[in-house]
Amino acid sequence: MNDTLNLLIGLAMGLNLLALGTSRLPVLIRTVAAQGVLLGLLPLVLEAHALDWRLVLITLATVAGKGLLIPYLLIRAMRSANIARELEPFIGYIPSLLLGAGGTIAAVALTRYLPLLPEHTGNLHVPGAMALILTGFILLIGRTKAISQVCGYLILENGIYLAGLLLISSTPILVEFGILLDVTVGVFVIGIIVDRIQRAFDSLDTRKLTALHE
Amino acid sequence: MLASLLASHTAPRWWIVFTLTAATCAFVAAAMVLSGIPAWEWRSEHTVGGEQIFMRLDEISAFFLLLLCVVGAAGAIYCRSYWPQQAHPRSAGQGRLWWSALLTSMGLVLTQSNGLHFLLAWESFALSAYFLVTLDRKDPAVRSAGWLYLGASHAGTLALFGFFAALAAQTGSWELGPMTDQASLAPLFWIALLGFGIKAGVFPLHIWLPSAHASAPSHVSAIMSGVAIKMGIYGLVRFSTWLPLPVEAGWVVVGLGCASAVLGVAFALGQHDLKRLLAYHSVENIGIILIGLGFAMIALDHGRPQWGLMALAGGLLHVWNHGLFKALLFLGAGAVLHSTGTREMSRMGGLWKAMPWTASLFTLGAVAICGLPPLNGFVSEWLVYRGLFDAARLKSAAAVGAVPAAILLAVTGALALACFVKVCGVVFLGAARTKCAQDARECDAGMRAGMAILAAGCLAVGLAPAFIWPSLLRVAQAWLRIGPVPGVPNHLEPLGVAHPLLALAILALGAAALAMLRGRCRRAVTWDCGYSAPSARMQYSAGSFAGIITAWFAWILRPVVRADLPVAIFPARSAINSHTPETVLESVIYPAGNRVLRVADFVRTFQHGRVQSYLIYLCAALVVLAVAVILYTE
Repeated sequence: MNDTLNLLIGLAMGLNLLALGTSRLPVLIRTVAAQGVLLGLLPLVLEAHALDWRLVLITLATVAGKGLLIPYLLIRAMRSANIARELEPFIGYIPSLLLGAGGTIAAVALTRYLPLLPEHTGNLHVPGAMALILTGFILLIGRTKAISQVCGYLILENGIYLAGLLLISSTPILVEFGILLDVTVGVFVIGIIVDRIQRAFDSLDTRKLTALHE
Repeated sequence: MLASLLASHTAPRWWIVFTLTAATCAFVAAAMVLSGIPAWEWRSEHTVGGEQIFMRLDEISAFFLLLLCVVGAAGAIYCRSYWPQQAHPRSAGQGRLWWSALLTSMGLVLTQSNGLHFLLAWESFALSAYFLVTLDRKDPAVRSAGWLYLGASHAGTLALFGFFAALAAQTGSWELGPMTDQASLAPLFWIALLGFGIKAGVFPLHIWLPSAHASAPSHVSAIMSGVAIKMGIYGLVRFSTWLPLPVEAGWVVVGLGCASAVLGVAFALGQHDLKRLLAYHSVENIGIILIGLGFAMIALDHGRPQWGLMALAGGLLHVWNHGLFKALLFLGAGAVLHSTGTREMSRMGGLWKAMPWTASLFTLGAVAICGLPPLNGFVSEWLVYRGLFDAARLKSAAAVGAVPAAILLAVTGALALACFVKVCGVVFLGAARTKCAQDARECDAGMRAGMAILAAGCLAVGLAPAFIWPSLLRVAQAWLRIGPVPGVPNHLEPLGVAHPLLALAILALGAAALAMLRGRCRRAVTWDCGYSAPSARMQYSAGSFAGIITAWFAWILRPVVRADLPVAIFPARSAINSHTPETVLESVIYPAGNRVLRVADFVRTFQHGRVQSYLIYLCAALVVLAVAVILYTE
């Protein structure tokens, strides 16, 4: 089980670096979608010994939400806003990559110091969650276009979801389902806002939103 | 009182009737409690804010309530002529409304025995005082004075919120009452001292007082100075008997009292504005009251209530006396202001001839505030001195404190005398300096009646102090929480004999001198040193009269002098202009406030609206927390 788990999480962490290194928004969105699908499959791996139809249903819903619905909404917003690239990031692509790699290494290193349960040590579960959260933060901080920020937010959510899976045996998966619903609605709303920002400012640069303050 | 609140706007006549009736009823109730009937308690079934209404009128409340009634009634009579409906069509009605509100809420402060309701009454009292101070709010100086008052007042209320909340948290109930058995409550006294000290105008906390008293209409200044700041004293008196006291409390209060007394009068000497000067004298008199109260606390701490009783009785009686004569002085200053249109003393002069009533009553108040026999100021200061001398004879730490305190008290008295010689001399004697002083007319009967009530109070306390002693003793014993002490002699008996005799002697001497001089007097020009063209401006001005004494206190007063002195042989136009600022406000509070603003401006640059940077803050905070957690767990 651990091998499959490590494989999936390792792939997700690799996708992190792709997300940090790309300037093209369609690639970014698809990377995030792929990451969502990889992580969506995790419950099946974790609970392989006690599969039932509800778990499968929820896994399917997660995969559909993260892998199809959200990317579809984002790509539509991107097309309607008529942009395809993040041109002037706060943090450049190479520094972002370095930061992300450093963050991932730090996450793996830090995990040793955390007081974890024995069944959570020895695999990439906890460091993976931390690395995803860090990557989400770097994207949120380093990018200016609203759509890149949404992607950062989604990666952050993936990290939280991964951390939440640690509790899968004690938390009803329904809670996770609720979070997923929130995220979908959030993306939906952001899609509308992106459209509005585009109309109001002729740009998706979130720096221009400061003109709204006070 | 409620009826007077309702009638205030529409029917001035009914308002005065209702106000006076309410004041009389409260006066009678307070006098009954003071004359020995047991304290009155009333517990209502109704609740306000989830707390049962609980009112109590004991000796201490009654003592302050009596003063409130007298000054409130005198001010109400006075303001009918001073702030009439015809001259102030808009603000006169508001003035009446807030006057009633002020009297009602101060009455409630005095009687509430529940912390929550005390705070409610306290806040409404502070607010109605604010609206009274800013009655003439077209003037920017009035608005800024009102603003300062409101700010300082709310700082005090904040401290009281903390005080009552901590009290309620520790005792488990908002209800107030004696709780001296819980020694853990003692540190709360410091918060109470801060909150009530701001209201009382104790020396470094008095910053709001001069400008508010000077800018308010004079009847408002009278009640603010006469009664409102006494609410701070009431709070201190009340909670110093209900709460256990820290050991140092008495010494701190005495120290604050000495500082207020000496520095208050020093600041007063530097003023040129009549009402500002009187306002600083309030600081001084609060200091005298606190010296009495502080020595009573020390006595309690040393377990020797006998001499504490004297100091406390002196301090408490000074509450009454100061309420009477300071209100009288403010009303007198108001009459002068009303007829000359200025508060600047150096523009007045020679008003005695034009306003004999006002001048006589004002001088009476001035003699009283200087603590000269045979008036009331002397009676209370005498009691404080007796307490200090008794303390000085003991072989304990109290003796070491009592001697300097007595000396400082004497210095205060002497400086106050100098100050009021300056006021009476510059304002009422000499020749008129400006046209507005020449055109001054005597004020009308209503204003004189208001002043006469207060002057009668001063005379009554001064000439018949022995009658007050039993009530005073009852209040002081209630504070000390000891039962009736049989062996306490009536310390005012000798004064009760000496004062009428002295008054008679003064009257006889005055009459004799008048009779001797009449007929023998010849009017002539004052010898003018050979200078042939004297003018009215060649008199001592308010600044020059006090110049030497202000120079002694220049280290704290920091007077600003702009002098354009003559230098050549043939002098050209020259001028000198001096001004004593409010040192604590301008050298401490304003710079501190500016620093806070600068820091706030700097911090504000962190809030710029860029989401990305906010996320960096978030990350940084997370990293710091993570590092802290890891370091801590190792």
